Amino acid sequence: MSKVTSKNQLQGKEIERDYLDEAVHGYNLRTAMEEAARCVLCYDAPCSKGCPSNTRPADFIRSIRFRNLKGAAAIIREANALGGCTAKVCPYDRMCEEACSRTGIDRPIQIGRLQAFAVAMEREYNMDVLKAPKADKEKVACIGSGPASLTVAQRLALGGYQVTIFEEFDKAGGVLTYGIIPPRLPQDVVDYDIKKIKDLGVEFVMNTKVGRDVTIEQLKEKGYKAFFIGTGLWKSKEVDVKGTELQGVTYAVDFLKKARSANGDWKIDGEVIVIGGGDVAMDCAATAKLLGAERVTIVYRRTIQEAPADIAELEYVQALGVSIFTKFKPQEIVGENGKVTGLIAEGTDDFSQLKLKANHIIFAIGQDAEDMNKIAPVELNPNGTIACDINKGFTNIDGIFAAGDIVNGGKTVNEAVAAGKAVAESIIKYLTKKEGVN
Amino acid sequence: MANKADLSIEYLGVKCENPFFLSSSPVGGCYDMVAKAYESGWGGVFFKTVGRFIADECSPRFDNNGKEQTPWIGFKNMEQISDKPLEDNLQAIHRLKRDYPDKIMVATIMGSTDEEWKELSELVTQAGADLIECNFSCPQMTSHAMGSDVGQSPELVRQYSRAVSSATKLPVIAKMTPNIGNMEVPAIAAIEGGAKGVSAINTIKSITNINLEHMTAMPVVNGKSSISGYSGAAVKPIGLRFIAQMKQHPLLKDVQLSGIGGIETWRDALEYILVGSHNLQVTTAVMQYGYRIVEDMASGLAYYMEEHGFQKVEDMVGLALPNIIPAEELDRNFKVIVKIDHEKCIGCGRCYVSCFDAAHQAINWDFEKRRPSVNDECVGCHLCLNVCPVPDCIEPGEIQYKDESKRIPKDIAFQTRYE
Repeated sequence: MSKVTSKNQLQGKEIERDYLDEAVHGYNLRTAMEEAARCVLCYDAPCSKGCPSNTRPADFIRSIRFRNLKGAAAIIREANALGGCTAKVCPYDRMCEEACSRTGIDRPIQIGRLQAFAVAMEREYNMDVLKAPKADKEKVACIGSGPASLTVAQRLALGGYQVTIFEEFDKAGGVLTYGIIPPRLPQDVVDYDIKKIKDLGVEFVMNTKVGRDVTIEQLKEKGYKAFFIGTGLWKSKEVDVKGTELQGVTYAVDFLKKARSANGDWKIDGEVIVIGGGDVAMDCAATAKLLGAERVTIVYRRTIQEAPADIAELEYVQALGVSIFTKFKPQEIVGENGKVTGLIAEGTDDFSQLKLKANHIIFAIGQDAEDMNKIAPVELNPNGTIACDINKGFTNIDGIFAAGDIVNGGKTVNEAVAAGKAVAESIIKYLTKKEGVN
Repeated sequence: MANKADLSIEYLGVKCENPFFLSSSPVGGCYDMVAKAYESGWGGVFFKTVGRFIADECSPRFDNNGKEQTPWIGFKNMEQISDKPLEDNLQAIHRLKRDYPDKIMVATIMGSTDEEWKELSELVTQAGADLIECNFSCPQMTSHAMGSDVGQSPELVRQYSRAVSSATKLPVIAKMTPNIGNMEVPAIAAIEGGAKGVSAINTIKSITNINLEHMTAMPVVNGKSSISGYSGAAVKPIGLRFIAQMKQHPLLKDVQLSGIGGIETWRDALEYILVGSHNLQVTTAVMQYGYRIVEDMASGLAYYMEEHGFQKVEDMVGLALPNIIPAEELDRNFKVIVKIDHEKCIGCGRCYVSCFDAAHQAINWDFEKRRPSVNDECVGCHLCLNVCPVPDCIEPGEIQYKDESKRIPKDIAFQTRYE
């Protein structure tokens, strides 16, 4: 595959145009020091307050600034089980960087890139920041291996609990491995964060869907005392548009998972239309473009300003040559011989009309929960997510906890980490109390 | 670079097209280098020190230290005097003066005995130099009969100045080492020996960095290193101080000085002029950026002169000296309280941290609004102005007199700005 680079309009960052290459180059020591030196080293720093998972950006930037790179790496690893991943995928413009005081002078510190640099140093130095005590406490099962589950597992392992993660697919990481695209989140970054969790003694059981391949009752018999549900949202939202049965119509989750599983070895021909305006839609568009699609078009029913996608993601797909039609909603998918040939969309102004040729149409309009009652008879919200206190993670069933997208309906990796940290505390309190009663 | 004002100045009776010279160093050690420097706009060159001694150099020989994103704040150099045969250097000096008659050639020399100094003095005079500089100050010579060990001895400085002056009709300049408490002492000795001018400072003996793996200084030369000369922006404050102190001494006030030490911009150059330099020498900035930097020195200085109505560089020499006074003579009857502009403030809290941890706990911090405010403890030290990252956010404000009865009936020039 040929590698073409182009200048992004934003901050002159070079963009790699290859599905398996990271879009933005990382810092080296010198450029990291330059960026850290731009930091005004705030008192009571707003960036740290702006981080849901409390990854302490002000502290790790100060460590970099004072040439304590190992210290910076340790701060991140202690604070955030997915420090490597969140460094790549956090929507900084809504979190730490939005809060950055430097914005009052010119532009925020590139906190995510500094975090990625510190985690890269952790790898380079072969650091083992965390040491788990002997796992002699209760057995806990984590269902799903996405951000929330991985975080809970790390916290519990550090507390001396015996943790097992049960994962439906053959690779761990959930949305990190099967959702987000490699240019934004290279697989080795995911694998490294997961390895750090495995090194703490967490057991991973793959290709095992709880509720289908094994039940909670069976796990209880094996001695598991608490259960954490962090399955995420993997069922595509139903679409009520004529023509969805045609060959070539697909859903974001399936499309991204297929691309990721093929490891880039998948050629996409012709014209691609992506429906949606979130990061997942941007990821689908970028994937289609990087895998060879001639033309990729995003059709979104609201305005760019209203689109939930990060500005960086919008700029990234535009730098790749993807065009975006706003204020159009799909009216009909047309086809011939059972295959898609195009999309007809109508403007939300009740006037505009759009008729676009297409070989592939990808719906990226959000995901729903699968039936959680197949796992346990927990109380559900009307939309299928698990009803529980987001900050504590207690479900209505004793000993069963939940967090992440399956509770909040689909938010960021950082927020899943934040919830995972909080719920791990709940689980520890629960098990400690239970032990006291016994 | 439109400004072509007249920057000419006489130094020791020699008319120079501008005061910007290369100092005796790696930047001016052969015909081709000096020719290029002349053509780039330098008014003259102090040719790399020549002598009977021929240097055998180590590799590597440089190091630099920085702070935050700025490397080269200071620079360490282990090179000694010229590593070329004396005859080659004399020939280069001769050809350069022949080919560039309007440019100034200063021959910098270094000997180890009276006879050697005299011989060098005669040879460079014959080669066509305009001026002679005696290098009494290189801190990294492998011979202790030469370099800064000589410069620290007023007797040797006087003796060798006399030897050199006796063997030439050219004005002689003595180059001082800063590795000494009072530079006035050897400077006076040089004048007593017959020198007409003094240049300062040569480099400062230094260890820039310790290599944490090899347990030696930088640069590492096969596992070892040595103390050697430090230069660059970091030494400018030290150079300015030595020049000012010499120029304020009654026995040296009429001696024309050549200022050296950390000059990179026209502002640095002007600062050296304002504390009493008639001539300026540059090396480190040229090592980092090349000869071309003289363009902005000349242009920037010309713009300043135009703005302030100065006709000649000479008219600016020493203008800051009357205002640099002993600490005991400063007016201490007032304090300038600071004022903080909450519109410009970005809420970083750096002033609060520094005031509490390093000054007088005179700033309160509003955690809700993320804004500092000055309380009654302010002593007017202005540490906060120095740390604030926003221009003009914290400024000098109300003047409070300690004793109203001793109030001097004139305005206090308090408008210090930190750029």
